[in-house]
Amino acid sequence: MTTAANIRFCKTFFVLVLCAGLTFGLGACAKSQSPESGYKAGAIADPIEPVNRAIFAFNTAFDRFLFEPTAKIYDAVFPGFVKDSVQSFMRNLRSPLIIANNLLQGQIGDAGVATARFIINTTAGVAGLVDVAAGQGLMYEDEDFGQTLAVWGLGDGMYVVLPILGPSSLRDAGGKVVDFAGDPLQLWANNTHNDWVYITRGAIEGIDNRARVIKAVEDLRKNSLDYYAAVRSAYVQRRHAVINDQDPQTSASLPDYDEQY
Amino acid sequence: MNATCPRPIASLFSILTLAAVLSFFSIAPAKAASEEAAAAFVDGLGKKALSSLTAPELGQAEREKRVRSLLNSYFDVNTIAKFALGTNWRNANETQRAEYLKLFEGMIVKTYAQRFSEYSGQELKIGKATKASERDTVVASQIIQPDGPPVSVEWRVRDQGGSMKIIDVIVERISMSVTQRSDFASVIEGGGGNIDALLETLRKRAGK
Repeated sequence: MTTAANIRFCKTFFVLVLCAGLTFGLGACAKSQSPESGYKAGAIADPIEPVNRAIFAFNTAFDRFLFEPTAKIYDAVFPGFVKDSVQSFMRNLRSPLIIANNLLQGQIGDAGVATARFIINTTAGVAGLVDVAAGQGLMYEDEDFGQTLAVWGLGDGMYVVLPILGPSSLRDAGGKVVDFAGDPLQLWANNTHNDWVYITRGAIEGIDNRARVIKAVEDLRKNSLDYYAAVRSAYVQRRHAVINDQDPQTSASLPDYDEQY
Repeated sequence: MNATCPRPIASLFSILTLAAVLSFFSIAPAKAASEEAAAAFVDGLGKKALSSLTAPELGQAEREKRVRSLLNSYFDVNTIAKFALGTNWRNANETQRAEYLKLFEGMIVKTYAQRFSEYSGQELKIGKATKASERDTVVASQIIQPDGPPVSVEWRVRDQGGSMKIIDVIVERISMSVTQRSDFASVIEGGGGNIDALLETLRKRAGK
């Protein structure tokens, strides 16, 4: 077997194992997302907390020494319109995945919006550098395979902190692998031995996303007693809101204050 | 209407119709009014906070004093504090509860005084208000930043029989109360399930 074929085989095998793991391992914990209420909102099982905390500590150190300073420089050096272009371009590259996941979730209307966005922004938006479609009321909405699995009724599984990539769940980590394997850009780059393309893409996307939450992360780090627990809760709440495609204007899952103390 | 209808019944019918029409028209604005009132309440808080807390020349003590006064007139701090402690509130004794409430308020005051001392031109734009339950209205808003994307903030306003109080703030779909509850629960768990572990951590914070 050649090296390339070997790598491809390993990757396919890895995806298969993960899919199998998801199907069988999570079968027991699989339950549909019930409307979150009370203190259960923002809660997730964390049976491997010591491992997660160790990876979290590593990620936090990595963030503070490399990721955050880089994001701060990026944020300070580039004017707003350049950063907006970076975001639009990166989002446009994700379009095929978003459309596919919308279709898998049975959200035909949203798939139409994502398709229209892709066509408009790729042409009129100069290869995705300008989000012209948003000006027409066609708003970006993030979709991924983890969300699709959630819509299909799979629960979070458990909380998992991924090295570098950060907070996730067993389901969403599996979803990431499927998104990666099915991403046309990645497939093209892989087949043409242009691996740098998606590595660069990932790095730029990461820095741009990180730069958008500089203050929020700093605030949470400073004002939480247990940073790990605060990040876990914040991540899960946001993730559940995104899965439910919740409009921030009509947030439905509010904590239940009327329980007995 | 049937013309053969006896007069008294006909008049009764028209009275009922009139009452129904009137109540329909009076109920609809009443509901909208409570939502409007909640939105105005949050707008008022935003305006007061901007006018009284943001001046850079304010000393720390004065800023904290002002934050405390705004906090207590606009937020139901005890309800928020109890929620953040969750079931541990039940297990705490009177002394612990009293100390916790004091430390909790102190922590919030310190946090917000710090945030407002870093004020750099943000503005609060009030959006739609939506009834969430019999007593609660959620007021959507955006913090407009001069140097970044707008931040979505929702305010959960509770009608406490005539007066209104905010009982949760949801930033970018993340409830501050829920996050705090997980944070506190983890500290208590780490201290072997003892609420004193949380009190000790809060005390240390307050002393800093």
